[in-house]
Amino acid sequence: MLINDIVKKIFFKNESKDTAKKRLQFALVYDRLEVSDEALKKMQNEIVAVISRYFVIDQDQMKLNITRHDDLSALMFNTPIISSKPRQRMA
Amino acid sequence: MQSKIIVISSGKGGVGKTTATASIGAALAMKDKKVAVVDMDIGLRNLDVVMGLENRIVFNIVDLAQGKCKVQQVAIKDRRISNLFLIPASQSDNKDVLTPDDMIRVSKELRESFDYILMDCPAGIERGFENAVAAADEAVVVCTPEVSSIRDADRVIGLLYSKQIPPKLLVNRIVPARVERGDMLSHQDVVDVLSIDLVGLVEEDEQIVIATNTGNPIVLQNNSKAGQAFKRIAMRLNGQPDLAIEVPRVSKSFWQKIGSRISFGKWE
Ligand SMILES: Nc1ncnc2c1ncn2[C@@H]1O[C@H](COP(=O)(O)OP(=O)(O)OP(=O)(O)O)[C@@H](O)[C@H]1O
Ligand SMILES: [Mg+2]
Repeated sequence: MLINDIVKKIFFKNESKDTAKKRLQFALVYDRLEVSDEALKKMQNEIVAVISRYFVIDQDQMKLNITRHDDLSALMFNTPIISSKPRQRMA
Repeated sequence: MQSKIIVISSGKGGVGKTTATASIGAALAMKDKKVAVVDMDIGLRNLDVVMGLENRIVFNIVDLAQGKCKVQQVAIKDRRISNLFLIPASQSDNKDVLTPDDMIRVSKELRESFDYILMDCPAGIERGFENAVAAADEAVVVCTPEVSSIRDADRVIGLLYSKQIPPKLLVNRIVPARVERGDMLSHQDVVDVLSIDLVGLVEEDEQIVIATNTGNPIVLQNNSKAGQAFKRIAMRLNGQPDLAIEVPRVSKSFWQKIGSRISFGKWE
Protein backbone atom coordinates (compact mmCIF):
# COMPACT_ATOMS: atom_id res chain seq x y z
CA MET A 1 0.00 0.00 0.00
CA LEU A 2 1.34 3.41 -0.93
CA ILE A 3 1.71 6.18 1.63
CA ASN A 4 -0.85 8.01 -0.47
CA ASP A 5 -3.42 5.31 0.10
CA ILE A 6 -2.78 5.18 3.80
CA VAL A 7 -3.25 8.92 4.09
CA LYS A 8 -6.42 8.68 2.03
CA LYS A 9 -7.75 5.94 4.29
CA ILE A 10 -7.14 7.95 7.43
CA PHE A 11 -8.50 11.28 6.26
CA PHE A 12 -11.21 10.29 3.80
CA LYS A 13 -12.92 7.32 5.27
CA ASN A 14 -15.50 7.35 2.52
CA GLU A 15 -14.04 5.25 -0.27
CA SER A 16 -15.56 5.54 -3.73
CA LYS A 17 -16.79 1.98 -3.59
CA ASP A 18 -18.87 2.78 -0.51
CA THR A 19 -20.61 5.49 -2.47
CA ALA A 20 -21.12 3.04 -5.33
CA LYS A 21 -22.62 0.49 -2.96
CA LYS A 22 -25.06 2.95 -1.39
CA ARG A 23 -26.18 4.29 -4.74
CA LEU A 24 -26.71 0.79 -6.04
CA GLN A 25 -28.69 -0.35 -3.03
CA PHE A 26 -30.94 2.62 -3.44
CA ALA A 27 -31.32 2.27 -7.21
CA LEU A 28 -32.24 -1.39 -6.85
CA VAL A 29 -35.00 -0.71 -4.34
CA TYR A 30 -36.49 1.61 -6.89
CA ASP A 31 -35.89 -0.74 -9.84
CA ARG A 32 -37.50 -3.63 -8.04
CA LEU A 33 -40.56 -1.51 -7.29
CA GLU A 34 -40.73 -0.16 -10.78
CA VAL A 35 -40.64 -3.56 -12.43
CA SER A 36 -44.17 -4.52 -11.55
CA ASP A 37 -46.51 -2.06 -13.23
CA GLU A 38 -49.17 -4.67 -13.03
CA ALA A 39 -48.78 -5.06 -9.29
CA LEU A 40 -49.01 -1.30 -8.82
CA LYS A 41 -52.25 -1.17 -10.77
CA LYS A 42 -53.64 -4.00 -8.73
CA MET A 43 -52.61 -2.34 -5.49
CA GLN A 44 -54.24 0.89 -6.61
CA ASN A 45 -57.52 -0.88 -7.25
CA GLU A 46 -57.40 -2.50 -3.84
CA ILE A 47 -56.65 0.79 -2.08
CA VAL A 48 -59.53 2.43 -3.94
CA ALA A 49 -61.85 -0.35 -2.89
CA VAL A 50 -60.95 0.11 0.78
CA ILE A 51 -61.17 3.91 0.76
CA SER A 52 -64.46 3.83 -1.12
CA ARG A 53 -66.01 2.00 1.80
CA TYR A 54 -65.55 5.14 3.87
CA PHE A 55 -65.42 8.04 1.43
CA VAL A 56 -66.74 9.03 -1.93
CA ILE A 57 -63.61 9.79 -3.91
CA ASP A 58 -62.92 11.20 -7.33
CA GLN A 59 -61.34 8.27 -9.08
CA ASP A 60 -60.21 10.32 -12.06
CA GLN A 61 -58.19 12.69 -9.94
CA MET A 62 -56.39 10.22 -7.73
CA LYS A 63 -52.72 9.50 -8.14
CA LEU A 64 -50.45 6.73 -6.98
CA ASN A 65 -46.77 7.54 -7.13
CA ILE A 66 -43.49 6.22 -5.94
CA THR A 67 -41.17 9.08 -5.11
CA ARG A 68 -37.57 8.99 -4.08
CA HIS A 69 -35.74 11.24 -1.70
CA ASP A 70 -32.14 11.16 -0.61
CA ASP A 71 -32.44 8.24 1.71
CA LEU A 72 -35.88 6.76 1.30
CA SER A 73 -38.52 5.85 -1.22
CA ALA A 74 -42.15 6.68 -0.51
CA LEU A 75 -45.44 5.46 -1.82
CA MET A 76 -47.75 8.47 -2.24
CA PHE A 77 -51.45 8.04 -2.71
CA ASN A 78 -53.40 11.23 -3.37
CA THR A 79 -57.11 11.49 -3.82
CA PRO A 80 -59.66 14.27 -3.53
CA ILE A 81 -62.48 13.32 -1.16
CA ILE A 82 -65.87 14.37 -2.46
CA SER A 83 -67.81 13.44 0.66
CA SER A 84 -67.92 10.93 3.45
CA LYS A 85 -70.28 8.06 3.15
CA PRO A 86 -73.48 8.11 5.21
CA ARG A 87 -72.86 6.56 8.63
CA GLN A 88 -75.13 3.56 8.28
CA ARG A 89 -73.19 2.35 5.27
CA MET A 90 -69.89 2.17 7.07
CA ALA A 91 -68.52 -1.31 7.56
CA MET B 1 -26.28 -38.89 -15.56
CA GLN B 2 -29.26 -36.72 -16.30
CA SER B 3 -28.22 -33.90 -18.59
CA LYS B 4 -28.22 -30.33 -17.37
CA ILE B 5 -28.79 -27.11 -19.28
CA ILE B 6 -27.05 -24.06 -17.81
CA VAL B 7 -27.57 -20.59 -19.27
CA ILE B 8 -24.79 -18.01 -18.91
CA SER B 9 -26.41 -14.56 -18.84
CA SER B 10 -25.73 -11.00 -17.68
CA GLY B 11 -28.00 -8.26 -18.93
CA LYS B 12 -25.15 -5.87 -19.64
CA GLY B 13 -22.93 -6.68 -22.60
CA GLY B 14 -19.20 -7.31 -22.61
CA VAL B 15 -18.88 -8.58 -19.06
CA GLY B 16 -17.50 -12.02 -19.94
CA LYS B 17 -20.38 -14.37 -20.79
CA THR B 18 -18.73 -15.83 -23.87
CA THR B 19 -15.37 -16.17 -22.12
CA ALA B 20 -17.09 -17.89 -19.19
CA THR B 21 -19.08 -20.24 -21.43
CA ALA B 22 -15.99 -21.38 -23.35
CA SER B 23 -13.92 -21.78 -20.19
CA ILE B 24 -16.48 -23.55 -18.01
CA GLY B 25 -17.43 -25.78 -20.95
CA ALA B 26 -13.79 -26.76 -21.46
CA ALA B 27 -13.30 -27.43 -17.75
CA LEU B 28 -16.40 -29.65 -17.57
CA ALA B 29 -15.25 -31.61 -20.63
CA MET B 30 -11.88 -32.16 -18.96
CA LYS B 31 -13.83 -33.86 -16.16
CA ASP B 32 -14.96 -36.45 -18.70
CA LYS B 33 -18.38 -34.97 -19.24
CA LYS B 34 -19.76 -34.65 -22.72
CA VAL B 35 -20.35 -30.94 -23.18
CA ALA B 36 -22.03 -28.75 -25.79
CA VAL B 37 -21.55 -24.99 -25.69
CA VAL B 38 -24.25 -23.24 -27.68
CA ASP B 39 -23.81 -19.75 -29.10
CA MET B 40 -27.23 -18.10 -28.68
CA ASP B 41 -26.05 -14.71 -29.91
CA ILE B 42 -27.74 -15.07 -33.29
CA GLY B 43 -26.40 -12.50 -35.74
CA LEU B 44 -23.37 -11.65 -33.59
CA ARG B 45 -21.63 -14.95 -33.16
CA ASN B 46 -18.43 -14.97 -31.13
CA LEU B 47 -18.07 -18.22 -29.26
CA ASP B 48 -16.56 -19.83 -32.39
CA VAL B 49 -13.63 -17.38 -32.58
CA VAL B 50 -13.05 -17.46 -28.84
CA MET B 51 -12.68 -21.26 -29.15
CA GLY B 52 -10.67 -21.10 -32.38
CA LEU B 53 -13.27 -23.08 -34.34
CA GLU B 54 -14.45 -20.39 -36.76
CA ASN B 55 -13.11 -22.21 -39.81
CA ARG B 56 -15.07 -25.38 -39.22
CA ILE B 57 -18.62 -24.10 -39.22
CA VAL B 58 -20.98 -25.84 -41.61
CA PHE B 59 -24.36 -25.81 -39.87
CA ASN B 60 -25.67 -23.69 -37.00
CA ILE B 61 -28.32 -23.68 -34.28
CA VAL B 62 -30.93 -22.14 -36.58
CA ASP B 63 -30.38 -24.95 -39.12
CA LEU B 64 -30.84 -27.45 -36.30
CA ALA B 65 -34.06 -25.77 -35.14
CA GLN B 66 -35.36 -25.74 -38.70
CA GLY B 67 -34.59 -29.41 -39.19
CA LYS B 68 -31.93 -28.83 -41.85
CA CYS B 69 -29.35 -30.93 -40.00
CA LYS B 70 -28.88 -33.37 -37.14
CA VAL B 71 -27.19 -32.77 -33.80
CA GLN B 72 -24.20 -34.85 -34.96
CA GLN B 73 -23.78 -32.59 -37.99
CA VAL B 74 -24.07 -29.24 -36.24
CA ALA B 75 -21.82 -30.01 -33.26
CA ILE B 76 -18.17 -29.10 -33.97
CA LYS B 77 -15.60 -31.07 -32.04
CA ASP B 78 -13.00 -28.97 -30.20
CA ARG B 79 -9.39 -29.16 -31.45
CA ARG B 80 -7.79 -29.59 -28.04
CA ILE B 81 -10.31 -31.04 -25.65
CA SER B 82 -12.16 -34.20 -26.48
CA ASN B 83 -15.79 -34.32 -25.30
CA LEU B 84 -16.17 -30.59 -25.95
CA PHE B 85 -18.46 -29.51 -28.79
CA LEU B 86 -19.53 -26.13 -30.14
CA ILE B 87 -22.93 -25.44 -31.63
CA PRO B 88 -22.48 -22.12 -33.45
CA ALA B 89 -24.95 -19.31 -33.94
CA SER B 90 -26.14 -18.30 -37.36
CA GLN B 91 -24.53 -15.08 -38.52
CA SER B 92 -27.03 -14.06 -41.17
CA ASP B 93 -30.31 -14.29 -39.27
CA ASN B 94 -31.65 -12.11 -36.49
CA LYS B 95 -32.80 -13.22 -33.07
CA ASP B 96 -36.45 -13.44 -34.05
CA VAL B 97 -35.94 -16.47 -36.32
CA LEU B 98 -35.97 -18.62 -33.20
CA THR B 99 -38.72 -18.86 -30.60
CA PRO B 100 -38.57 -20.15 -27.03
CA ASP B 101 -40.66 -23.12 -28.22
CA ASP B 102 -38.04 -23.95 -30.87
CA MET B 103 -35.41 -23.97 -28.17
CA ILE B 104 -37.41 -26.24 -25.90
CA ARG B 105 -37.76 -28.68 -28.77
CA VAL B 106 -34.07 -28.50 -29.80
CA SER B 107 -32.96 -28.83 -26.20
CA LYS B 108 -34.76 -32.14 -25.86
CA GLU B 109 -32.63 -33.47 -28.71
CA LEU B 110 -29.45 -32.02 -27.26
CA ARG B 111 -30.11 -33.63 -23.89
CA GLU B 112 -29.90 -37.03 -25.52
CA SER B 113 -26.33 -36.41 -26.72
CA PHE B 114 -24.71 -34.36 -23.95
CA ASP B 115 -24.24 -34.32 -20.17
CA TYR B 116 -23.95 -30.53 -20.01
CA ILE B 117 -25.36 -27.95 -22.39
CA LEU B 118 -24.15 -24.39 -21.79
CA MET B 119 -26.11 -21.59 -23.45
CA ASP B 120 -24.12 -18.42 -24.15
CA CYS B 121 -26.73 -15.69 -23.84
CA PRO B 122 -26.64 -12.46 -25.86
CA ALA B 123 -26.65 -9.14 -23.99
CA GLY B 124 -30.06 -7.68 -23.23
CA ILE B 125 -33.35 -9.12 -22.00
CA GLU B 126 -35.24 -9.37 -25.26
CA ARG B 127 -35.96 -12.31 -27.56
CA GLY B 128 -32.38 -13.57 -27.61
CA PHE B 129 -32.46 -13.85 -23.82
CA GLU B 130 -35.88 -15.50 -23.86
CA ASN B 131 -34.61 -18.09 -26.33
CA ALA B 132 -31.44 -18.83 -24.36
CA VAL B 133 -33.26 -19.36 -21.06
CA ALA B 134 -36.25 -21.22 -22.49
CA ALA B 135 -35.05 -24.72 -21.60
CA ALA B 136 -32.51 -23.91 -18.88
CA ASP B 137 -32.38 -25.82 -15.62
CA GLU B 138 -29.97 -23.39 -13.94
CA ALA B 139 -28.35 -20.05 -14.64
CA VAL B 140 -25.00 -18.40 -14.08
CA VAL B 141 -25.29 -14.61 -14.01
CA VAL B 142 -22.03 -12.85 -14.88
CA CYS B 143 -21.27 -9.34 -13.67
CA THR B 144 -18.24 -7.16 -13.14
CA PRO B 145 -17.78 -5.10 -9.96
CA GLU B 146 -19.28 -1.97 -11.53
CA VAL B 147 -22.55 -0.21 -10.83
CA SER B 148 -24.17 -0.55 -14.25
CA SER B 149 -23.25 -4.21 -14.61
CA ILE B 150 -24.56 -5.02 -11.13
CA ARG B 151 -27.78 -3.15 -11.71
CA ASP B 152 -28.42 -5.06 -14.95
CA ALA B 153 -27.54 -8.32 -13.21
CA ASP B 154 -30.25 -7.58 -10.64
CA ARG B 155 -32.82 -7.23 -13.39
CA VAL B 156 -31.78 -10.52 -14.98
CA ILE B 157 -31.77 -12.29 -11.61
CA GLY B 158 -35.36 -11.10 -11.08
CA LEU B 159 -36.39 -12.39 -14.49
CA LEU B 160 -34.72 -15.77 -13.90
CA TYR B 161 -36.46 -16.22 -10.55
CA SER B 162 -39.78 -15.40 -12.17
CA LYS B 163 -39.08 -18.22 -14.64
CA GLN B 164 -38.14 -20.61 -11.84
CA ILE B 165 -34.54 -20.91 -13.06
CA PRO B 166 -32.25 -20.70 -10.03
CA PRO B 167 -29.35 -18.28 -10.69
CA LYS B 168 -25.87 -18.13 -9.19
CA LEU B 169 -23.46 -15.23 -9.50
CA LEU B 170 -20.06 -15.10 -11.17
CA VAL B 171 -18.14 -11.88 -10.49
CA ASN B 172 -15.61 -11.36 -13.29
CA ARG B 173 -12.67 -9.01 -13.85
CA ILE B 174 -11.91 -8.39 -10.19
CA VAL B 175 -8.75 -6.32 -9.68
CA PRO B 176 -7.61 -7.16 -6.13
CA ALA B 177 -5.37 -4.09 -5.81
CA ARG B 178 -8.28 -1.80 -6.62
CA VAL B 179 -10.54 -3.62 -4.19
CA GLU B 180 -7.91 -3.20 -1.49
CA ARG B 181 -7.66 0.52 -2.25
CA GLY B 182 -11.43 0.92 -2.00
CA ASP B 183 -11.91 1.93 -5.62
CA MET B 184 -13.65 -1.26 -6.65
CA LEU B 185 -16.60 -2.99 -5.04
CA SER B 186 -15.52 -6.17 -3.30
CA HIS B 187 -17.25 -9.45 -4.06
CA GLN B 188 -18.87 -9.16 -0.64
CA ASP B 189 -20.33 -5.76 -1.55
CA VAL B 190 -21.74 -7.25 -4.75
CA VAL B 191 -23.25 -10.18 -2.89
CA ASP B 192 -24.75 -7.82 -0.27
CA VAL B 193 -26.39 -5.74 -2.96
CA LEU B 194 -27.72 -8.61 -5.05
CA SER B 195 -28.37 -11.12 -2.23
CA ILE B 196 -27.54 -14.18 -4.30
CA ASP B 197 -25.18 -17.15 -3.93
CA LEU B 198 -21.80 -17.06 -5.62
CA VAL B 199 -20.60 -19.67 -8.05
CA GLY B 200 -17.14 -18.12 -8.29
CA LEU B 201 -14.84 -15.12 -8.52
CA VAL B 202 -12.61 -14.49 -11.53
CA GLU B 203 -9.96 -11.84 -11.60
CA GLU B 204 -8.84 -9.55 -14.35
CA ASP B 205 -6.20 -11.59 -16.22
CA GLU B 206 -4.14 -10.59 -19.23
CA GLN B 207 -3.82 -14.20 -20.20
CA ILE B 208 -7.49 -14.23 -21.15
CA VAL B 209 -6.70 -11.75 -23.90
CA ILE B 210 -3.83 -13.93 -25.13
CA ALA B 211 -5.95 -17.08 -24.99
CA THR B 212 -8.73 -15.31 -26.92
CA ASN B 213 -6.28 -13.97 -29.50
CA THR B 214 -5.05 -17.47 -30.23
CA GLY B 215 -8.35 -19.29 -29.75
CA ASN B 216 -7.03 -21.51 -26.98
CA PRO B 217 -8.82 -22.55 -23.78
CA ILE B 218 -7.68 -20.53 -20.77
CA VAL B 219 -8.31 -23.52 -18.50
CA LEU B 220 -5.34 -25.33 -20.06
CA GLN B 221 -3.10 -22.52 -18.79
CA ASN B 222 -1.98 -23.72 -15.39
CA ASN B 223 -0.42 -20.40 -14.50
CA SER B 224 -3.57 -18.40 -15.25
CA LYS B 225 -5.51 -17.44 -12.14
CA ALA B 226 -8.64 -16.82 -14.18
CA GLY B 227 -8.26 -20.24 -15.83
CA GLN B 228 -7.97 -21.94 -12.47
CA ALA B 229 -10.96 -20.00 -11.15
CA PHE B 230 -13.07 -21.19 -14.10
CA LYS B 231 -12.02 -24.78 -13.32
CA ARG B 232 -13.26 -24.44 -9.78
CA ILE B 233 -16.52 -22.93 -11.03
CA ALA B 234 -16.98 -26.00 -13.24
CA MET B 235 -16.44 -28.23 -10.21
CA ARG B 236 -19.08 -26.31 -8.25
CA LEU B 237 -21.54 -26.76 -11.09
CA ASN B 238 -20.58 -30.40 -11.44
CA GLY B 239 -21.71 -31.83 -8.12
CA GLN B 240 -19.41 -29.95 -5.71
CA PRO B 241 -21.49 -26.88 -4.85
CA ASP B 242 -19.76 -26.44 -1.50
CA LEU B 243 -16.21 -26.16 -2.82
CA ALA B 244 -14.85 -23.08 -1.01
CA ILE B 245 -14.83 -19.82 -2.96
CA GLU B 246 -11.31 -18.47 -3.34
CA VAL B 247 -11.05 -14.72 -3.10
CA PRO B 248 -8.57 -13.08 -5.52
CA ARG B 249 -5.85 -11.33 -3.54
CA VAL B 250 -3.01 -8.98 -4.28
CA SER B 251 0.04 -11.14 -4.83
CA LYS B 252 2.30 -10.55 -1.90
CA SER B 253 6.05 -10.66 -1.59
CA PHE B 254 7.71 -13.63 0.08
CA TRP B 255 8.09 -11.88 3.45
CA GLN B 256 4.52 -10.57 3.43
CA LYS B 257 3.37 -14.11 2.76
CA ILE B 258 5.35 -15.45 5.68
CA GLY B 259 3.87 -12.67 7.80
CA SER B 260 0.30 -13.49 6.86
CA ARG B 261 0.92 -17.20 7.42
CA ILE B 262 1.95 -16.50 10.96
CA SER B 263 -0.81 -14.10 11.89
CA PHE B 264 -3.79 -15.16 9.79
CA GLY B 265 -2.95 -18.74 8.93
CA LYS B 266 -6.31 -20.09 10.04
CA TRP B 267 -8.35 -17.84 7.81
CA GLU B 268 -6.28 -17.88 4.66
N1 LIG C 1 -11.29 -11.97 -16.46
C1 LIG C 1 -10.97 -11.25 -17.56
N2 LIG C 1 -9.76 -10.66 -17.64
C2 LIG C 1 -9.42 -9.95 -18.75
N3 LIG C 1 -10.22 -9.79 -19.82
C3 LIG C 1 -11.44 -10.36 -19.79
C4 LIG C 1 -11.88 -11.13 -18.68
N4 LIG C 1 -13.12 -11.59 -18.94
C5 LIG C 1 -13.45 -11.12 -20.17
N5 LIG C 1 -12.45 -10.39 -20.70
C6 LIG C 1 -12.45 -9.71 -22.00
O1 LIG C 1 -13.58 -8.86 -22.06
C7 LIG C 1 -14.11 -8.81 -23.37
C8 LIG C 1 -15.58 -9.19 -23.37
O2 LIG C 1 -15.71 -10.54 -22.98
P1 LIG C 1 -16.83 -11.48 -23.59
O3 LIG C 1 -16.86 -11.41 -25.06
O4 LIG C 1 -16.66 -12.83 -22.97
O5 LIG C 1 -18.12 -10.76 -22.99
P2 LIG C 1 -19.65 -11.06 -23.34
O6 LIG C 1 -20.40 -10.83 -22.06
O7 LIG C 1 -19.81 -12.36 -24.00
O8 LIG C 1 -19.95 -9.88 -24.38
P3 LIG C 1 -21.30 -9.72 -25.28
O9 LIG C 1 -22.33 -9.18 -24.35
O10 LIG C 1 -20.89 -8.73 -26.32
O11 LIG C 1 -21.62 -11.07 -25.82
C9 LIG C 1 -13.27 -9.76 -24.21
O12 LIG C 1 -12.30 -9.02 -24.90
C10 LIG C 1 -12.61 -10.66 -23.17
O13 LIG C 1 -11.36 -11.16 -23.61
MG1 LIG D 1 -20.79 -12.85 -25.87
